[in-house]
Amino acid sequence: MKRYISSYIILQAFAVMLLSSCANHPSVPSDTSASSVLPPIFPDYCDVTVPYNIAPLNFMLPADEYDECVARLTTSDGQQQTYGHGVKVQIPESEWHAMLNASKGKSIKVEVWGQKEGKWLSFSPFEIHIAEEPIDEYLSYRLIEPSYIVYDYMEIAQRNLTTFEETQIFNNKVTCDDSKGQCINCHSYQNYKTDNMLFHVRVTRGGTVIVNDGKISKVDLKRDYTISAGVYPSWHPSAKLIAFSTNQTHQSFHTAHPNKTEVYDLASDLILYDIATDSVSVISNDSTLLEVFPTWSPDGKYLYYCKSVPLPEEMRDKDIRATYSKIQYNLYRRSFDVATHVFGEEELVYDAASVDKSVSLPRISPDGRYLLFALGQYGCFHIWHHDADIVCIPLVAPPSPDTPQPSPLDLTMLNGKDAPDSYPSWSSNGHWIMCASRRDDGNYSRVYFAYFSNGKVKKAFLMPQEDPEMHISLLKSYNRPEFMVEPVRISVNEFSKVFDK
Amino acid sequence: MGNVFSPFYLFTFILFFVAVLLFFGLAYPHHLHYQEQFQLFLFDSTYVWEIVKRPGGIADLLGRFCTQFFLFAWVGAFIIAVLLSAVQLLSFRMFKVQRSKFNVQWLYGLSFVPSFLLWLFLLDENALLGGVWAVLLTQLAIWGLVRLPDGWARRILVIVAFVILYWIAFGGSHYYRYPNVFPTLLYAAWFSAIIIPLVMWFIVRGRKSENAQQQNNSLTIPGQSSPPRSLSHLIPLTSFILVSVVMGTLVWKNANFKAEKVMQYDFMARHQQWNRILETINDEKPNNQIGVTVQNLALAMHGMLLDRMFDYNQNGIAGLLPDVKEDATSPLPTAEAFYHLGMINVAQRSVFEAQEAILDFQKSGRCYKRLAQTNLINGNYEVARKYLAALQKTLFYKEWANETLPLLGNEKAIAQHPEYGRLRQMAYKEDFYFSDHVTPEMLENLYFSNTNNRLAYQYLLAYYLLTGDREGYNNLISKMQ
Repeated sequence: MKRYISSYIILQAFAVMLLSSCANHPSVPSDTSASSVLPPIFPDYCDVTVPYNIAPLNFMLPADEYDECVARLTTSDGQQQTYGHGVKVQIPESEWHAMLNASKGKSIKVEVWGQKEGKWLSFSPFEIHIAEEPIDEYLSYRLIEPSYIVYDYMEIAQRNLTTFEETQIFNNKVTCDDSKGQCINCHSYQNYKTDNMLFHVRVTRGGTVIVNDGKISKVDLKRDYTISAGVYPSWHPSAKLIAFSTNQTHQSFHTAHPNKTEVYDLASDLILYDIATDSVSVISNDSTLLEVFPTWSPDGKYLYYCKSVPLPEEMRDKDIRATYSKIQYNLYRRSFDVATHVFGEEELVYDAASVDKSVSLPRISPDGRYLLFALGQYGCFHIWHHDADIVCIPLVAPPSPDTPQPSPLDLTMLNGKDAPDSYPSWSSNGHWIMCASRRDDGNYSRVYFAYFSNGKVKKAFLMPQEDPEMHISLLKSYNRPEFMVEPVRISVNEFSKVFDK
Repeated sequence: MGNVFSPFYLFTFILFFVAVLLFFGLAYPHHLHYQEQFQLFLFDSTYVWEIVKRPGGIADLLGRFCTQFFLFAWVGAFIIAVLLSAVQLLSFRMFKVQRSKFNVQWLYGLSFVPSFLLWLFLLDENALLGGVWAVLLTQLAIWGLVRLPDGWARRILVIVAFVILYWIAFGGSHYYRYPNVFPTLLYAAWFSAIIIPLVMWFIVRGRKSENAQQQNNSLTIPGQSSPPRSLSHLIPLTSFILVSVVMGTLVWKNANFKAEKVMQYDFMARHQQWNRILETINDEKPNNQIGVTVQNLALAMHGMLLDRMFDYNQNGIAGLLPDVKEDATSPLPTAEAFYHLGMINVAQRSVFEAQEAILDFQKSGRCYKRLAQTNLINGNYEVARKYLAALQKTLFYKEWANETLPLLGNEKAIAQHPEYGRLRQMAYKEDFYFSDHVTPEMLENLYFSNTNNRLAYQYLLAYYLLTGDREGYNNLISKMQ
């Protein structure tokens, strides 16, 4: 009996030690020298505005410069807590969310100390502003190596933004039984919900996996009269219709330019897929021009898309690799009658070519007042273009040749410097802009969020990770980040069964 | 059966160990290098956890851990010899566990069968050492179990052991790099490692009961007594020789020495052994694409490509700078040529694609190292830092990563670096697109970017000579003049 009691005591003591080590509430360093600069933390969360439901903004000091880091967080009602273990500051979720709830609409003050060569340095404090608007709870993305042509393991994953939980939606291994491999891409949802969603599977056992009111099917969207199967999708907000571009996409690579890869279309058109009748109709198929990236207005009455501007006569017959840097896309829209499925005349929305730019990936805010897109010098695949930035314009008046081009909003707080920023999107409440950006290293894209209210944008912040070092060590890109208000509940195995049929 | 440490058994054990060691050390060393270059073992908790959390993960992890030592072929050969000998020893020990006083020495040779099957399995460059560990762990577990006294405790332990074994050794399928190939040889080895002792056990058991019955009948059973001392090793020796000759022949016949030769060329190019390459091609002219590519690179590195290229086999442009294929092996030697030529982005792409094409989705120490270098030369320091940070978590690339990290952002040090500084000077100045196929324009542009680039000069002229493009050649000569 004695032996059991002593074992129990040891076990309890061990548990207490373990718990106390998890809490990590270090003392504030006493003997410090003050620095007037902000702490060089990664990710840079200094003076960012975050939603009140976001996961802890864990951060770290550079491991090659500092030995230890201590941070003290103070809420507006005076509650304080310290964190730090090694050079990392990792805040327990429960404590973090309690602080956010206490600070909604206010700020959390953050003081940071860093130890270098045995001496503590006290940095200028900064604030984390807590917005009153939440962010959509879920986010999905494809995790992929920023490869050239060959690819290996890839997955479409979903992340709970209020925690660090990440689960898999699908991967390219589970149904691939051929050495040619399998590519999975273009996950897309209707109105941020997951009962109606899709993704593509290419090469081995290819097709488009469509979830229609929770029922899974795999369809082949290639028709005799289309140049390819559906590629870039956009769900109609209310009807069971999906607009796709069809693309003959190729890739080339730069010998010297930092834009590593060039993705270009030899041809591209627009189609409309009717899920109920499994029918594909052509929206636009001008063989001389390239139409791509369709997106519906939130009311479903307009389809926006990008279309290339005709090249000068003398360049038209040349190899596209010689002329591609001259190809620029403008933004257009066409009205749509959901009852008859008839599209109206084309209207120019944004004349990017007139300012020697090229537009891609348009997204309209849920209230229909603003339009986001990626803007670069040329082409449409801006995630590899170092000059590409996110642009937002107000959609106040119907576009017409007489209306002056709307002035872009100031998005300098969102965009990275000299790094590709692309794939913008809106949260379902229209208060959070998300984009994929290679700003951290120029090669691996990461997800950034920025608060948006009445045309004003706050400083963007990197999607938090439980271990802040993960953003450095993870050799995958976050591709095509999409907000969702609920998780995909269909398991990988359930999805894989559709390939057995 | 005799004592495992008796001179005879020790002799056969050592003989087998030495045979395996010499085979992998002398005849198959580049298969081991090949294995090593397609994995990146990290001393990192996340990496380890990602492996061990999967069924069969412990065996897989042990296999990967050992494979990192294959960078040094003799160490790799020693590890394989130890593992295969351990499998044999355990098979033999399991016979011993029966503690039979009966003569089953004619089965001694069979204790080598699982090891020989594993040897056959490892002849395939895409067979993974984790499979050998899976067999060994299974044997260890069974050996431990049969030594326990019979009873409830053993029965419960047997059930628990099977569950644990499933998890640590045989629940997974990562024994081949091939995604969808069943490892028949491995499973044959596994079954033989279990079935042979079981057969032994049944034979011994049967004889025991037979003997008991016959003792009751007071009868003498012929063949039950031990053979004369002078013949005590003859029977096991015969069975050992029989199994060794048959299985050894199978190993030798199934060894892919042609692939070994190709891997040798790749290895020599990777380690920039230009003199050794010249010696090798003088002994035997390569007649495969990788061999010819490496041969031409070595000739060019010695400035002899244009003078001596036709002394050896050529394969047109496919033997000079072949198109980048979608596999993990063939782009790497070509990438070596691209790198030394100064076509840094082309080299980077080739290496990246090769790594992406690794069949079991592992990463590669060799590729990470080269990607760190190309990014460093291109000035993409943060990307280079990522690769170097990963290499810092390895056993054998750590030192190089630590030495390279201070170069990041240090323009002066890079400019003065004998390799990176030179390659920066040789790199393209003008940007244009490239894809899978190298064109003479690419080489021409490279050469005219820096006319001190003698490698580019040789490759450019060799391109025209190999393709027979007289007009292109003449145009180039007039441009040069």
